[in-house]
Amino acid sequence: MLYVESWAPEYGAPIEHDPSLAPSESVIDPTVERTDWRPITPESSVADGVEAVCFVDGVRRVDARLTLDEPEGPIPGLCGSLGVGATHWDRNVPRATFGDIMIERLAVIGSGRVVDVPPVGNLKYEAVSVAGTDPAELVRHFHNRMRKAEAVLSSRLAAEGHLVIADGPINELKPQSVIGYIKTHRVNYLGPEETVAVRDLLAGDRTPMFLMDGHIYARYSWYLKLADIPGGHTWSGVVRCEVPASLGIEQAAIYADIAAVLLPQTAPPLHADPRAPQNLVPIGALERELRRNLGDPGLVYRALRESIGQSTNGAA
Amino acid sequence: MSVGRVIGTEKTSTQVFRVVLDDDQYLQLDDLVVVRTQVPQAGEIATYGIVTESEAVYEGASYESDTFRIAEHGILPAQKVRSAQVQVTRVDPEVWVSPDPGELVERASGEARDKALYADEMGRPLPVGIGRDGQPLYVDLDFFDGRKGGHMSISGISGVATKTSFALFFLRMLTGRRDIVGESGANMRVLVFNVKGEDLLWLDKPNLLFDDDARTKWEALGVAPTPFPSVGFWAPPRKKSGDVLLADVAGRQEGVQPFAWTPREFIDEGLLRFLFTDAGDSRNQLSFVEERVRSQLQRWAVDVVGRPGAVVIRQPPVGGWRRGAEVKLEPGERIIEDLPSLVESLEEFLDPPDGEEPDRTWSGRVQGGTVSAFMRRLYAAQSRLGELIRAGDSHRIDRATAQVTVVAIQSLHDLAQRFVVGALLQETFAEKEQTGQRLPLSVVVLDELNKYAPREGNSPLKDMLIDIAQRGRSLGVLLVGAQQTASRIAQEVMENAAIRVAGRLDAAEAERSEYGWMLPSTRARARLLKPGTMVVSQPAIPVPLVVNFPFPPWATRREEVSEDVDPFVGL
Repeated sequence: MLYVESWAPEYGAPIEHDPSLAPSESVIDPTVERTDWRPITPESSVADGVEAVCFVDGVRRVDARLTLDEPEGPIPGLCGSLGVGATHWDRNVPRATFGDIMIERLAVIGSGRVVDVPPVGNLKYEAVSVAGTDPAELVRHFHNRMRKAEAVLSSRLAAEGHLVIADGPINELKPQSVIGYIKTHRVNYLGPEETVAVRDLLAGDRTPMFLMDGHIYARYSWYLKLADIPGGHTWSGVVRCEVPASLGIEQAAIYADIAAVLLPQTAPPLHADPRAPQNLVPIGALERELRRNLGDPGLVYRALRESIGQSTNGAA
Repeated sequence: MSVGRVIGTEKTSTQVFRVVLDDDQYLQLDDLVVVRTQVPQAGEIATYGIVTESEAVYEGASYESDTFRIAEHGILPAQKVRSAQVQVTRVDPEVWVSPDPGELVERASGEARDKALYADEMGRPLPVGIGRDGQPLYVDLDFFDGRKGGHMSISGISGVATKTSFALFFLRMLTGRRDIVGESGANMRVLVFNVKGEDLLWLDKPNLLFDDDARTKWEALGVAPTPFPSVGFWAPPRKKSGDVLLADVAGRQEGVQPFAWTPREFIDEGLLRFLFTDAGDSRNQLSFVEERVRSQLQRWAVDVVGRPGAVVIRQPPVGGWRRGAEVKLEPGERIIEDLPSLVESLEEFLDPPDGEEPDRTWSGRVQGGTVSAFMRRLYAAQSRLGELIRAGDSHRIDRATAQVTVVAIQSLHDLAQRFVVGALLQETFAEKEQTGQRLPLSVVVLDELNKYAPREGNSPLKDMLIDIAQRGRSLGVLLVGAQQTASRIAQEVMENAAIRVAGRLDAAEAERSEYGWMLPSTRARARLLKPGTMVVSQPAIPVPLVVNFPFPPWATRREEVSEDVDPFVGL
C-alpha cells in the first residue's frame, strides 16, 4: 500500500532506511517487559506527579567554509555556530519557558592544524582541529560537539530532578531521568509479529519495551503513537523512545508510561510544523529560538569575511 | 522614570515610533512620553510624543491556535510583549530626526510634560480640562481671545457629547482665571442662549451633587468650585400677561427678567430682517421687499404722544421726521403697539383691500406674488413671535448688568429663536463695531449653530455669523458655537474657529473631512467618548488632546439646586 508522508519533503521522511545500520548490530529482546505484544494504554494519572518536563535540543549552522592555503595544498576548514538549550514545561502553571541556552562558535580546521580566527565583532570562534581533510569529518566533529553539549545539559537537568526529553538517542549509561526521543526510524528493531502491535497503536498508546543490547550500552526502548493521522500507515505519528537499561525495568516502565501520556499532549497539529506531529511543540519552538540566538546568518557571514579578510591581507 | 524602550524591529520616524514596555510598566492612550537621542553633530535631541495606541502580542506564536498552546497547555514558550504607539508632538531642539531604537522611553512629567504640550511656549495657558495623569491640560488663550486666533467650535452627539456643559466649563475657566486671562477678562461679557430645557437657568446656584472628587479636580484647575458669580437671566414674556410682563419660564421664578422690544426699537434697529431668516427666503426676492419696507418704516414711523415705544406710520415731512419727534394720533390712524398692529399697518401699503396694486414706494418693483409671499411670512410671524414686540417701557436685554447673560429661548418657535439670536448678535456686534476696540471681550455661546449658520442657503443671520467668524476676532466678539454635526455648518464659520472641540461623534460623522484635525486613532475613539471627555485641538499643538472636565459646581436642573439656607434650621 502506498502513503504520502506528513512531513514536508525537504525534511526527509520519518522513515529513512539506512542499510549501514542493520538490525543485527543490536541484540533485541522484546520480552523484557511483556511477552504478549499488544499496545499498552497507560492511565493518564501516571503523569500526575510530574510537575515539570525539560525538552533538550540543539541546532547547528555552518557559518562559513574556510580554506587554509598551504604549499602542500589547500586545507579545508569551517566556521560554525551551535546552540543548545531547553524548554521548561511547568505543568503546574502551566507555562513553557526557554532556559539554559548556550551558544558556541567553532572554527574547525583539518589536517590537525590550529589556526586562530580573529575576533569577529563580539563573536569569538574557538579554534579546534581534526586530523583528516574530509569536509564531512569537519561537520561530524562539529555535530559531535553539539551532541555532547546536549548530553551535558540533559544530565545536569536530570540531576536537578527534572524529567528530561532529549532529542535524539541517548549517550549515557548511568541511570538518570532522561528519555531519548527519536523522530526518524532508520531501522526496524522489531520482528513482523511485534510490528503488528505498532500498527495497532492509537494516540497515547505505547508498545511494550524491548531491550537493545550488544551496542555500546544497553537501553530499553519502546514505540509510542503521538497522534492518529488520517490516512496514515503503520509508522505514521509513531516515535521511538529510549532510556538507559541501568534504570531497571520497573523505573523504565514508569518513564515509558509517562512519555506515552505526556508527549502526545505536546505534539503539534499537522499544519503547524513541517515535521508534525513528531517535532514536538516545545522542541520546535526551542529550535527556532536557538537559531534566532545564533544570529543572522547573512550578518555573521559578512562579518567573518570582513574580519578574516582584513587579517589575511594585513599579514600579506 | 522609564517605561520601556523604542522598538527596533521597525523603523522609527519623526512622526511615529513604538515603545516596547517594561514588564512592570504601562502606557495608556494619551499618555505623554519623551525619548532622548544622541544625534551625531547635533547633541541630545528630546522627542516628545503622545500615546495613540496600546498593543500586546505573544511573540513566538505563529498560529492563532498557538495561543492555547501558550496560555492554556503551556507547551509553547512565548513572550508576552506589550507595546504602545506614539505620535510625535515635538522635537526639541528642532532637529527633525527620528528617535533611536533601543532608547529609553520615559513618561513626560513636570517640565517635560509642559514641553510635550507646548505649554512652555503658550503665552497664556488656560486649563481646559484634566489629562489622564490627573494634571491640567491647556489651550493657548491667545488663540481664543483674538490675539492670534479666535472662536471655538464644539461638535458632538446631543445628550452624550456634553457640548453645552463643556462650553460652560470653559466659560467658568475664562471668568475664573483672571490671573491667566489678564486684561482680556476685565468687563468681559458673555451671552449664552438657553435652547433646550431650562438647563442654564441655574448657573448661579450651587449643585447638590457636587462632591469632593470634583472639588479636587476644580482645585487642580485653579478655580474655586463655585457657581457663576454674576449671571443675569432673561426670558421672553409669557403670552397674554397683560400690562405686567412675566418671564415665560417654568422652573425658576425669581431673578428671571422678561425681555421684549418696542416697535420703536424694532424699527430703529431694522430687526424686520430677522423675521426672514429661513434659509430658503433668500432664493426668492423677499429680501428686496424686506429691505424696502425696513427703510420705509425707518423714514415713516413716528412716536406717539403719551404712548412710549409705540409708533404710527405717517408720511414724513420734507427732510424726514426729526429724531424724537412725537405726534398725536389722528383719527383713522393705526397705532403700532405690537407685531400684529405693525402687520396691519403694512397691509395698507402692500396688500390693500379691494384688490388695488401695492404701493410701489413700499414694495419696490417686484411681482405681486413676491409681495404676497412677504405678507404671508409676516402673518405667520405674528403668532410665532408672540409678545416679543410690544410697546411700553423698554424691556430690552441689558447685557451690562451681569458678566454672564443667559437668554432663555427654548420656549420660542424656531422663527422667534432666530429672531432673538439675530437681534442680540447684531446688537453685540454693532456695539463693538462702533468702538472698534477688541476689549472688553464679548463672548457668545450658541448651541445648535446649524440652525443659524447652515451650510446650504443664505440668510441675514448666517451672513452675520460669517461676519462675526471672520471679523469678530479683531473686534473681540468671540463665538463659542456648538452643533451635532460640523459638516452641516457654514464652512466660513468652521474654518475660522481656532479651537475645535469634539465630544462623542456619530461614527459616520467622525469620518468626514471636518474632523481632519483628529488623528485616525482619535477619530476611531470619538464614537466611544464618555460624557465629560472631549477632544480638543488648537493651533499651538499639532495633535488633539483628550481632556476630561469635572462635574460642575452649579446646578443644571431644579432638582440639583442646593439652597445654602437649611430649611430645617431651628426645628
